[in-house]
Amino acid sequence: MKNTLEMRNIVKRFPGVLANNRVNLTIQSGEIHALVGENGAGKSTLMQILYGFHAMDSGEIFIDGERVHLASPKDAIARGIGMVHQEFMLVRPFSVAENTVLGLRPGGGPLLDLHKASARLRDLSNRHGLALDPEARVGSLPIGVQQRVEILKLLYRDTRLLILDEPTAVLTPQEKDRLFSILRRLREDGCSVVIVTHKLSEIMELADRATVMRDGLVVATRAIGSTSERELTQLMVGREVNLRAEKSGRVRGEPVLQIEDLRVEDESGLEKVRGLTLDVHAGEILGIAGVDGNGQSELAEAIMHLREIKAGRVLLRGAEVTTLSVARHRAVGISYVPADRRHVGSVTAMTVADNAVLGQQRKHAGRFFRSIRGARSSAQALVSRFGIRGSGIEGAAGKLSGGNLQKLILGREITRGSAALIVEQPTRGLDVGAVESIWRELLLAREEGKAILLISAELEELLNLANRIAVMFEGRIMGIVDAAEASVEQIGLMMAGIAPGGTAGMASPSKEARHGEIH
Amino acid sequence: MARFIERRLEPADSPLAIIASTAAAFLAAMLITAFLFRSYGASPLQAYFALFHEPFATLRGFGYALVRASPLGLIALGTIVSWRSGFSYLGFEGCFVIGATATAWLALLTAPGGRIGSRIGPLPFVLFLALAILLGFAAGGAWAGWVALVRARFGGNEVLISLMSNYVAIFFLQYLVSGPLRAPGSLPETPLLPRATWLPFILRGTRAHAGILIAIAAAGLVWMLLQKMPLGYELIVTGFNPSAARYAGIDVGRRLAIAAFFAGGLGALAGLVEVLGSQHRLMDGISGGVGFAGIIVALLARLNPLAVIPTALLYGGMSVGADAMQRRVSIPSSITFILQSLAVLFVLAFDALRYYKITPSVFWRRAPEVAAEQVSK
Repeated sequence: MKNTLEMRNIVKRFPGVLANNRVNLTIQSGEIHALVGENGAGKSTLMQILYGFHAMDSGEIFIDGERVHLASPKDAIARGIGMVHQEFMLVRPFSVAENTVLGLRPGGGPLLDLHKASARLRDLSNRHGLALDPEARVGSLPIGVQQRVEILKLLYRDTRLLILDEPTAVLTPQEKDRLFSILRRLREDGCSVVIVTHKLSEIMELADRATVMRDGLVVATRAIGSTSERELTQLMVGREVNLRAEKSGRVRGEPVLQIEDLRVEDESGLEKVRGLTLDVHAGEILGIAGVDGNGQSELAEAIMHLREIKAGRVLLRGAEVTTLSVARHRAVGISYVPADRRHVGSVTAMTVADNAVLGQQRKHAGRFFRSIRGARSSAQALVSRFGIRGSGIEGAAGKLSGGNLQKLILGREITRGSAALIVEQPTRGLDVGAVESIWRELLLAREEGKAILLISAELEELLNLANRIAVMFEGRIMGIVDAAEASVEQIGLMMAGIAPGGTAGMASPSKEARHGEIH
Repeated sequence: MARFIERRLEPADSPLAIIASTAAAFLAAMLITAFLFRSYGASPLQAYFALFHEPFATLRGFGYALVRASPLGLIALGTIVSWRSGFSYLGFEGCFVIGATATAWLALLTAPGGRIGSRIGPLPFVLFLALAILLGFAAGGAWAGWVALVRARFGGNEVLISLMSNYVAIFFLQYLVSGPLRAPGSLPETPLLPRATWLPFILRGTRAHAGILIAIAAAGLVWMLLQKMPLGYELIVTGFNPSAARYAGIDVGRRLAIAAFFAGGLGALAGLVEVLGSQHRLMDGISGGVGFAGIIVALLARLNPLAVIPTALLYGGMSVGADAMQRRVSIPSSITFILQSLAVLFVLAFDALRYYKITPSVFWRRAPEVAAEQVSK
């Protein structure tokens, strides 16, 4: 088979880091190639070199056998290389067609010929099975459809090699299946696809070959048919990893955290939590599944009273805490690990030691002065108990890797001794090794008898950890299932707003949310 | 291959790197100003000698440098408290005026001829000073505090409001010194304050007064607040990241108000020091831009309270030296302001240098080979 892309002996140094150490990568035409590795393994750097973001120190890149020099993304696009970033680069008030031609001159003249562009887009969309309406406003489209707009943008620019960075992180299972079938169809049409990811189950399902990176080196390239998820994990991490969580035999206790008919609005006055009722019991993990943006964050913030509550009550061990201040919530025994660990859960400019007492600064103080020594010793205790690796407790917290920062935040909130723990997206963007230890700590906290509310977009995480899973859609609970008996399909349907039993519930997707798709 | 200059992923943040980039900034500013000196036909070396000799090598000049440094330092400390708490307050000119007014009013009130002074007799100086500090601090704090309340309650922009509030304070002062507090005579100013209320002079043969001691004490207290007290920790968290502060149970609005109160109070102390130590009366135009120069000093000190006093002394000293330079080598003293401004610009701009790593050894040492072993194929 012909090679579309060959990267030979790519070296990229940053001061103190050898991000790519003589990396070789070959992508054949018409293949789906997975680039896997833990965070910091060098896969993003490699893709950024390919996309012209970074200049390599040495090495060669060949496209269709011809040696090329890629100094900027413009060069890369001209060579038929395109990238779908994790964060979509779309102008929400613009239509699909307007977004696609952004930066181009369809029609050649000084005037914008959107009709011509729309016609070509409709044609491309039909040919590749994207089912997109060029006139739809991007802001009104669901995330999965927006992702297809990004793919359409690339196809419109005659891209032959598509790079997708963590494409499934924000999708429902159904949207993921849809994406995979689109990618398979692109492969049949002769396009090459590189998927940067660390979700091995998806690679096994989709990819033809996988290249594994670790510490800046390519460890191995394997054909998917001749490898296993287990082998890839081992190559990626460099050791055996056990992600199978032991289910607890423990009987769940009294209800600790009770939420009654809660109603919450977002900044623009839109109701995001619409009459939600839940009980979390001692010694259980109650999972909340759902696609991002269905009110999960608003729910967590409202429980802590970080967000105004319009109606309803929150009770802790039977006592109402609804309108207590955030500081009082913490004092009476609710801990919270927010989804945004760098902008909410920690102060990245301050030291690890300072972050270890965030939220408990008054406890680590005498009558007038802070106990700096107390802060240090509790930071040191967290570092050793949770295995936080970094440049020590006097280094800036922002310099910790995502996994280590998350261990610091989770550790801080777990060791506070509160009865209830709200955890939001605890492993988003983390690599396998970090996921393993975060999961272990959450299970240990459950064994200690804490009531844990686990909000996650990762079904695998919920199925592994939770006792019960509540599926949230447009601010309501679509249903609660026992994790031991739940199936991915059943939860996926509820995540899409279809109530158990097959009928679309009253909370079916609005017309607006649908009109971008042609069925 | 290691290269001579490489870009870092994170800026170097060791004290050495910070000192080096600050020093480089000052040298660059002095180098550029040297060309300006040349255009006046003066020798840059002679000019710089005049600029630094007067304030730092003569006793009289050093006394003046101390006089200038005291209000500058206090305003810089106010800037540090508010800015590090995320409150971009720019109203120090107004706080200075409010503090000066409150102090002069109290001094005239308790003077032997004043309304209170004539009844109970003159206050002991220590008691008067304590009262003046409390009154001035509270007045300046309230003056800045309402801006914080507007921001916390209604989301107003503190930059605009505080900047505009300067004019309100200045016009208020103009009204007072040309109306109710005016001394008989042609100038818009109050009578001379009683000698008993003046800050003591601390260096024989100079104008240096105890104001610098107040500034030094304030620097120590601000450092203690920010580094050692839980309130200071909460202020800094609020400044770095208000979302994280709210998450940690810190009442952000209230912390902003506290920061503004302290900032305004410190700004008002600058006015107190100027009135009781140097001018000994209240007059129109008493602030003369020190409320902004103090912000510059805070920036040059990189918002570090312990660096404020030396920086204020350097900055104030340069203003004193500027006059000497004009006398000795006939260069306009305003060039000094160009030098000071360039120094600020470069100190801020040269932070970009800390993103680069220089490896001089590449010229005489062979770089270590890149480890190139593939783990497996």
